[in-house]
Amino acid sequence: MSELLVRTEEIVKRSKALGADEVIAKTTFGRYRQTRFSNNQIDISVAWNDYVTDVVLAWKKRVVGTQIRNFQNVDQTVKRLFELSKVSKENPMYGGFAKGKFRYHKSKADEALVNLDNPVEYVFDAVEAAKKEAGPDSETGGILLTSLSDICLVSSEGPMGEDHRSAIELSIRAFSQREASGHGVECGSALKGFDAARAGRKAGEIAKQAKDPKAGVEGRYDVIFDPLFGGSLLGMWGSMTSAYSVMIQMSIFVDKLGQRVASDNVTLRDSPAPYSVANRVFDDEGVPAKENVLIRKGLLKTYLHNTSTARIFKTETTGNAGIISPTPWNLEMDSGDMSREELFSEVKHGLYLTNTWYTRFQNYATGDFSTIPRDGIFLIEEGEIKESWKDIRLSDNALKMLNNIIGLSKERQHVHWWSEADPPSLVPYILMKDVRITRPR
Amino acid sequence: MKGLNKDVADFALKYASGKKVEYAEVRAHSEKTDSLMMKNGVLDAYVSAVDSGFCVRILAEGGIGFASTNKWTKDEAKVIVDIAYKYAKMAKRKDKIVFAEEKSLKANWKVDEKKRVENVSPETRIETWMEMDKALVSQGINVAARMFSFGTSLTEKYFVNTEGSVISSYVPRIGAYAFITVVQNGKPEQSYKQFGYAGGWEALDRWKLTEEMIKEAKVLQKVIKEAKAIKPGKMDLVCGSEVAGIAAHESCGHPMEADRILGREMSQAGRSFIYPNGSFWLETKIGSSVVTIVDDPTVKNSYGYYEYDDEGIKARPRYLYKNGVINEFLHNRETAAKLDIRSNGASRAINYDREAIVRMANTFVQPGDMNEEEIFEDVKQGVYMKSFTEWNIDDKRFNQRYVGREAYWIEDGELKHPLARPVIETTTQNFWSSVDAVSKKVEYDAATCGKGDPQQGMPVYTGGPIIRLRGVHVK
Repeated sequence: MSELLVRTEEIVKRSKALGADEVIAKTTFGRYRQTRFSNNQIDISVAWNDYVTDVVLAWKKRVVGTQIRNFQNVDQTVKRLFELSKVSKENPMYGGFAKGKFRYHKSKADEALVNLDNPVEYVFDAVEAAKKEAGPDSETGGILLTSLSDICLVSSEGPMGEDHRSAIELSIRAFSQREASGHGVECGSALKGFDAARAGRKAGEIAKQAKDPKAGVEGRYDVIFDPLFGGSLLGMWGSMTSAYSVMIQMSIFVDKLGQRVASDNVTLRDSPAPYSVANRVFDDEGVPAKENVLIRKGLLKTYLHNTSTARIFKTETTGNAGIISPTPWNLEMDSGDMSREELFSEVKHGLYLTNTWYTRFQNYATGDFSTIPRDGIFLIEEGEIKESWKDIRLSDNALKMLNNIIGLSKERQHVHWWSEADPPSLVPYILMKDVRITRPR
Repeated sequence: MKGLNKDVADFALKYASGKKVEYAEVRAHSEKTDSLMMKNGVLDAYVSAVDSGFCVRILAEGGIGFASTNKWTKDEAKVIVDIAYKYAKMAKRKDKIVFAEEKSLKANWKVDEKKRVENVSPETRIETWMEMDKALVSQGINVAARMFSFGTSLTEKYFVNTEGSVISSYVPRIGAYAFITVVQNGKPEQSYKQFGYAGGWEALDRWKLTEEMIKEAKVLQKVIKEAKAIKPGKMDLVCGSEVAGIAAHESCGHPMEADRILGREMSQAGRSFIYPNGSFWLETKIGSSVVTIVDDPTVKNSYGYYEYDDEGIKARPRYLYKNGVINEFLHNRETAAKLDIRSNGASRAINYDREAIVRMANTFVQPGDMNEEEIFEDVKQGVYMKSFTEWNIDDKRFNQRYVGREAYWIEDGELKHPLARPVIETTTQNFWSSVDAVSKKVEYDAATCGKGDPQQGMPVYTGGPIIRLRGVHVK
């Protein structure tokens, strides 16, 4: 048993000794390194070390939490927390923390990432690759982030485990002209296979194609979504499968379990798989994190649950705790049977949208929202990219869009970008019919 | 100071000064937070925690390195200084970064609390929200879903740099977020409200929480029962202070951030329609002469209040658009140096583990000289968009959209029926150029501004008086 685990267990023991009914302590020792760049130069490199234990305690169904930094003031903090539980209010919906001993997959942080001394070389690789595609005068910006974290979780209800996670992600945006840009990302849990130049090339290729954009035209179009844009869509749909989102009606999936919510070619999963930047072996209750099928062939199969929400919905936890709110870890849309090229050839008059940002809802329950495509926006005629557009908005309905997916590519990409394509996901190119595009007047 | 180990911070600066640095600073930060989460009348959890740590930012060989930790030891201080120094040199920039010149200063400032936040018991905090929830659901309106989060933060900072500045501060903040869904005849309408204040528990007296939330639920019910669709076309649009405020924030505050203008945010929050040698720059016309938008950190008790920024620069109001003309960008020391001016104190970080970047504080349209009645009486046919629901703007901050939450049809100066989510989708230039009247009274709304990577949600106010736009397309 590691020292970290022993000290985490000690917090649980002390809380129990005070009289707590149930306790979970989760210690994270995180080391994060980020390099930010713009105008083809490095602006800043950042390192932050975080030593924190999250403690959640329940007493007579009163749920309280705190954080202990670097194992300091443990006795004092735990006592204060227990006192807080006594004056807090009962949560009748609290269903307890997960019980039992679990076996977890062995996890190991990537050695190459642990030993990576000078990650900025990857930034230079990506910048050069983008400039090669988009031209020597092009401008690029983005981030490179590496994260290593050791996590120990101990629950008074039985779960106890360690997880050693690693991740690396690079995001690069290239501008060939002031209003012509492309975006590429490269993400993974290990350095092997990580190709910074690939992200740079993609950003550069799109930026080059996006030159001399014309003002877009309002209307309804068949649209091919690049995996990066698709990552934002999956994040939107996936977060709405959280039972918490359903309970507060921030979801299009309220009362729709077992019903058709998407076209029959859509299967959506949540999977904290080893390849993902969001890899993990257990959730915040210590339940083994696993693959869950959220939508199978268009039918809504489950919400995401922790123990408490599962009890309310009379089902089992899906291993997605969040003590308060269950959350997706890493969304995956099953691939289709067409190549990217075949998908394009299906489009007679439509659009290829490569990225988006600023997705906002006017009504989560009905699904009415808009989002703003950015980077390459392309008009497709007879399967070919005809021209570059700018200044459009996608103004539509999240539920209707799920039902209008008519094609998916075989190839998929693992994407994560800022808070837009989040949580991380594995996404094919998506062909959707009848998407409403608006523009400013 | 409680929670901060000044000795370790001073040691870190001294250790950094011993290296070949052009500049170094240490920012220590301690934050005690108490927050509660409620949904549908049930307290999910109450969380109370203290977070404290410090960061070192070093400028060396024209590059910047930054490192932070929450381990308060001198050995750890050495480790993070060494990392920041190494990272600064690793940048190998062609264009060396320099900071705009500043004199050293010593200051100690704080925000007063009429009713000390620390003296408010958890029971009182919980009861405040439970009572509000009870009152809300007893109105005979089907508020089918409610989610409230409420928190207080007591933030101490200690800032020292190699130029000799020493600044200590204490800021208590109170913030709340409410999201409700009203359902009638199977039809849902939704609304969120955010509240924020720098100061003590007296915030609750000002907010009139229960009253506001009940009012909001009634608005949603009325929208469901009575709202009619709008016939799209060109018409006058009167924007309430909430809509004027979000427009000021999105299409004035953000594009006037100098780091965006100079490209530093190009990959995330984006750039700006304002850029060197472009169509828009300082002294370019962007709106009508009645439009003046200011960003002012010194508004007492505002959510975005501060006296010195996180680079130790004294705060002052910044007139961004002045009489319809682009007037002054928001700067930190890095961007100011690039334009050969002094920083105007807009550099802020949300915590010790984040770099300070250019941020807004409280961005609002300056009041004009008209009464509210005068604004409406001159509208033959148009829309009053009092508040908004969906909104967004492109990453150059030019193409924006606001969808009305509470909105009414105006005819001959009179408010008629409610409208079902009317939309204005237009450009920054068209929006601000169409304004022909501004009322006398400014009102503020709290917001959390997103920017940075990783995201730094920053407390701000948006605000404005009522403004009237002539002949814009509403759909």
